[in-house]
Amino acid sequence: MELGAMRNEWYPVGLFSRLNERAYETALMGEPIEVSVNADGKATVTSRSGRDLPVRVRYGHVWSSLGTPDKELFAIPEADQPGRRFVDVGVVRVRCSPLRAVENFLDIAHFPFVHTDILGAEPHTEVQNYKVEIRDVEDEVWATQVKFYQPQAAKSASGGITTEYMYRVPAPTCSVLYKTCPPRPAEWDVITLFVQPLAEDLCDVWPWMALFDDVTPMTDLIHFQQTIFLQDRSILENQIPRLLPLDPGMEIPTRADLTSVAYRRWLKRHDYTYGAQLVAQ
Amino acid sequence: MPARTPAGPIALWRSASGRPAASADRCPHRGMRLSHGFVRGEALSCIYHGWSYAQAGNCLRIPAHPGLVPPETIRVATQQVQEADGVIWVAVGEPTDQPPRFEGLVPLRSLMANAGIAAIEAAAGAKSGADGLLRTSGNSTELRLLLVAQEQDRTLIHVLLKGDAPVSQRIFASRIAEALRRAAEDVQAKGIA
Repeated sequence: MELGAMRNEWYPVGLFSRLNERAYETALMGEPIEVSVNADGKATVTSRSGRDLPVRVRYGHVWSSLGTPDKELFAIPEADQPGRRFVDVGVVRVRCSPLRAVENFLDIAHFPFVHTDILGAEPHTEVQNYKVEIRDVEDEVWATQVKFYQPQAAKSASGGITTEYMYRVPAPTCSVLYKTCPPRPAEWDVITLFVQPLAEDLCDVWPWMALFDDVTPMTDLIHFQQTIFLQDRSILENQIPRLLPLDPGMEIPTRADLTSVAYRRWLKRHDYTYGAQLVAQ
Repeated sequence: MPARTPAGPIALWRSASGRPAASADRCPHRGMRLSHGFVRGEALSCIYHGWSYAQAGNCLRIPAHPGLVPPETIRVATQQVQEADGVIWVAVGEPTDQPPRFEGLVPLRSLMANAGIAAIEAAAGAKSGADGLLRTSGNSTELRLLLVAQEQDRTLIHVLLKGDAPVSQRIFASRIAEALRRAAEDVQAKGIA
């Protein structure tokens, strides 16, 4: 399999807090790898052939790459902001393309149907116009001024509110969501989706959060997010084809899908095609 | 519910007024299986974004844009459906004949076997007759089985009984069909068929 430009990107390979000296085996884009910590407490990642792979520890996770990343791991400034709680949600394995998992994360129109009475509810199904751009300097996809009515937007929300969202795609299998923060209207809650591509049609999804919420027990925060992602999984494992179609014609977008359209275009422009289907079949 | 014909996977559904319909099992928006969807009134809606489709296949509504009339180009392929004596028939292409009638019989249940038709016939010790039905019996209960080949050596077995069979015979018939399925799966696993 051609890994294309995605070979030189950073990917999450595990939670740093769960590492111990016994290496655990996982995979990156079809290649078996081992993740562990050495005696000095430093995370190490090695390929099965014994090659040491690049490592970063950031946002609760260990990151690595099969190639040689020419860019540093993307920044999330909110990860250094005092007063936030950082939530390692854990892992959800999904039998789908890593790119489909990201695209679903960028989508709000499914909230009333997939996350019924949590992130959305009929008859509040309309997606109002929002702004989408590919920012050339950062080389990231951004969607802003995304608004949606939500019955229970977060664990810290009581009752329905119109939530505002901003989405960012800083890497082909990662997205960062900024969301209205019910207890602190001037700040944004940060919810991320870090996707580890195990194969073109199989991935481990590692959600992570940086929230202003001093009240909700950690277990409840984790359960809330896991509930949401398990609902998404029931969709992601039943989309045909499993790979994300990059050529127009295979699927029909509308105005509500502009983020997805920009994401697909950005992937194609960069030859980020691991997990993508290029020709309609 | 999901079903399959030689033309591929379909979503088989019954509208609120009772009319059965079959459409391709894929929403053209984001590829989600329509057999996971829900029926409201005379329309089938996709579970992902709620796009709803008429029995003729045209898209009726896109909930993200409630004011939009979906263009005629957004549609799912459909197949003809007929209901006869409690059995739903789906046509591939344009059929010239009516589906067969099984007068005096009523459907009891359907089960999926991980075995091909040959393995089921071997386990039953009988072949399907000219009417397409395999006859088998046990405990003085006579069963008729309608076998429909699925992908990868799987078979959907529809069990039919005489219309006047009492409840006790129906229970027997159900057990006989399950025993036959197990036997057929054994035959298939041993590669005898």
